[in-house]
Amino acid sequence: MNESPDSPVPVEPGIETEHAEEFIEHLRRVSDSLPSHINVDAQSVEQGLAKLVLTLIELIRRLLEKQAVRRMEGGELAPEQIEELGLALMKLEEKMAELKEQFGLADEDLNLDLGPIGKLI
Amino acid sequence: MLYLYCLSDEATARVLDGAAGIGGVAPHLFDCAGICAVVSEFASATVAVTRENVLAHERVLSRVLAATTPLPFRFGTVAGEERLENFVSTHRASLLSALARVRGAVEMSVKIIWDEEPERAAPDSEAQEAGAGTRFLLTKRRELLGAERLQERAENLSAWLAHMLEENVKDSLVEVRPAASLVVSASHLVAREAVESYRARLEAARRERPDLRFLTSGPWPPYSFSNLFP
Repeated sequence: MNESPDSPVPVEPGIETEHAEEFIEHLRRVSDSLPSHINVDAQSVEQGLAKLVLTLIELIRRLLEKQAVRRMEGGELAPEQIEELGLALMKLEEKMAELKEQFGLADEDLNLDLGPIGKLI
Repeated sequence: MLYLYCLSDEATARVLDGAAGIGGVAPHLFDCAGICAVVSEFASATVAVTRENVLAHERVLSRVLAATTPLPFRFGTVAGEERLENFVSTHRASLLSALARVRGAVEMSVKIIWDEEPERAAPDSEAQEAGAGTRFLLTKRRELLGAERLQERAENLSAWLAHMLEENVKDSLVEVRPAASLVVSASHLVAREAVESYRARLEAARRERPDLRFLTSGPWPPYSFSNLFP
């Protein structure tokens, strides 16, 4: 093994920014969104399950919207089909808003953070 | 039980002289066939997340980093001797490869906050006479286009930062989040002799883009580059 210095000087990391408050606020938002502990009571489990299911539905809903827009742009849909598809997706969006309100969930609650991959939605 | 600070194939006991770790207990080296773990005796299986403990962990890492570049364990890692030995022997080749990768380098961090928001394009003229369903899809199209342009601007920003620092960076891990205010979070592996040059380039980047807010930090032990199981 290599020899180390007789008295190595500890490395002190520095932090540089001219906008400390903004970064602190960002960290505070991140930490506030993390659960302080795991709840296993029935209501929390139900809420958690609703959140998971609605997150998946929201993901699929958004994918369907994207697909519809791509097909519209690609000229694959007749005007009547655009109108019909748009109405269906609009109603689906309204229904999702009702369900989110019913379970007390905001849009941010359905956006799972997958870490390095980014957010789900 | 042992509290685990880091792994190294170059650290010697002299590095830890006078050091105090978690609970004020002196750390020592635990040899696992040529790869040493810096550890201290610990009575429990869990570590309280307190400012005192976090700083104690960081102080020990700082000592080791002054002499050599270790592979740091995440704060709060506790294991018995047998488990530690099994871990090192099982992953010896990967650990030696990781140690070679970070040798002579430190981790620097850059975070950027911006004010960008998705562009709000003017409503399509065709929407004015369209039905509700068609107007809905036209609105979604505008939103998608705005999101795509935002993604492109975020990726351009990340590419610009990489270009500014490429001569001083051995390796990097970057997260780009166009929809967030904290748009870029980058971890850079920088050779020790290149840290000052890296800082100078960062300062140049700040001057070039006064519209952005930067937070830079380091040098740190290479936490981001120590993950054997990405």
